[in-house]
Amino acid sequence: MADNSPQDGYGLAMIQARQLMLRYSTGKTALSGISLSIPKGGFVYLTGESGAGKSSLLRCFYGGVRPTSGQLKVQDTDLRLTQPHQVRRLRRRIGIIFQDHKLLFSRTVFENVALPLRVQKWKPDRLVARARKVLEFVGLEDRLWSFPEALSGGEQQRVAIARAMSTHPPLILADEPTGNLDIETARRIMDYLVALQRAGSTVIIATHDLQLMETHPGDLVRLHQGALVEELRHVSPLGAGGMDSGIEGMHEPGA
Amino acid sequence: MSRVHERSTPRLPGGFSLPPFGVHQWLALVIVCVALWALGLLWLGAQAGAQWMGTWQQNIRFHVYMEQDNQTKLKQLARQLSLLPGVASVRIVSRKETADWLRGWLGGEAVDEEELLHSLPSSIEVTPSGDAGEFLYSDLADEARRVGASLNDGERQLVQARHWLENINRLLWFVTLILALAMAIIISNTLRMTLLARADEVQLMRLLGANEWFVRMPFVLEGMLLGAGAGLLAWCLLWPLILGTADWFAALDVNLNGFAPLLPMLFGGAAVGCLGAWIATLRLASENIASS
Repeated sequence: MADNSPQDGYGLAMIQARQLMLRYSTGKTALSGISLSIPKGGFVYLTGESGAGKSSLLRCFYGGVRPTSGQLKVQDTDLRLTQPHQVRRLRRRIGIIFQDHKLLFSRTVFENVALPLRVQKWKPDRLVARARKVLEFVGLEDRLWSFPEALSGGEQQRVAIARAMSTHPPLILADEPTGNLDIETARRIMDYLVALQRAGSTVIIATHDLQLMETHPGDLVRLHQGALVEELRHVSPLGAGGMDSGIEGMHEPGA
Repeated sequence: MSRVHERSTPRLPGGFSLPPFGVHQWLALVIVCVALWALGLLWLGAQAGAQWMGTWQQNIRFHVYMEQDNQTKLKQLARQLSLLPGVASVRIVSRKETADWLRGWLGGEAVDEEELLHSLPSSIEVTPSGDAGEFLYSDLADEARRVGASLNDGERQLVQARHWLENINRLLWFVTLILALAMAIIISNTLRMTLLARADEVQLMRLLGANEWFVRMPFVLEGMLLGAGAGLLAWCLLWPLILGTADWFAALDVNLNGFAPLLPMLFGGAAVGCLGAWIATLRLASENIASS
């Protein structure tokens, strides 16, 4: 699946990696020999135990770290050779939901959501309308002028989703989007992400919570100690080779 | 209920949006204002000194004195002096004229004229031309010494004062430079505190793909405004001194132009603020956007 050809009705590849390696300056090898291709429009789970390299791979995808060797193309941008201004341009086409939300606690919900639009120089009229629309989408239209600290964990995560989707990015990266949330709230968060995928975005979720796949099927990429052990297998609750059989064998220790 | 329409102009970070003006900013403004005020004062002093010296030098005449009453020697010396470069005219001043001037200067007190005329030296008045060089005084002194005459010492000191003024001006430029650096560092420290307080915001803007100028612009704007504001305030604070000393300066034939420092203080302050912002955001710019 390392080519750029359309497959499974997904179209061209959104992300292509070949023999990707990432070694931090501390000497720790975070990723080793990763080769994969994620098609456009996909809904992909990046799983693995803690320290498997999920977050490092996501950071590579948005240019947070530069791979040490190998090849990585995200939306046709080669992140091994790219210049800082190209990384910035790429980031404007990616919506990121961070593990720690990265909400600005001195800013209102509206200002948090409007920030990517401001970075992309949206005119105030359009900006206000769009921020309002995405907050309506995540059910927070009544919390526009609240500050994030007044929100629950689930609501904060919804604000993070609203911020990530505000600029219609073709790629959404979510790092543990349901971490520390109760089952019902986690399911709701996943519903939003599925809705974004249906609206045309490619959604990549780094998680070790494999229960999510029972209700929200998608493709699975499994990492173990920085290496790829399972590449893009479709998991669905009803399909052959689907969720039940797949999940049982994928519960990592400590997950 | 949504209140978006109630706040149609939300304050969003980045670009031309200024960070909030807090107590640290006010403090920096006051410190920079005091420094700029002191500089303005020094430059006004230099302006006054230059004017005072300039008036004096416009009417300057050098006087050569010869103790012995030898008219031939005096005429010969006058001729020699008139040939020196930088000399516009030479006039032999009679003892009578000198005595009259001296009597006037002493307030017309009764002085024995015969004795006065006897005790006064013969003198030559030398008027320098506009292009007289800095060596004219020593040329005149050399020429006078050759025939046993001497040059007025007070006039030598005036020539020296001009050199002192030039040195003071050079020193002022040095002080200006040092104070400008100090002001830039004060502004830079203030902005650094703002930056630290908004580190999350800056990091997030970078992660969202913000351009470098978009992230740095608010801090550069704040630095510029701080500097320019301090400059304007310092200029306003110069006026009580200018007005308070106007009569005293008028007596010295010095007319201070209080408006002259406005633009240098305004733009100088803004430039210093820009420099401070540049120093404060230096590390921001050097942070690699994607490094392993």
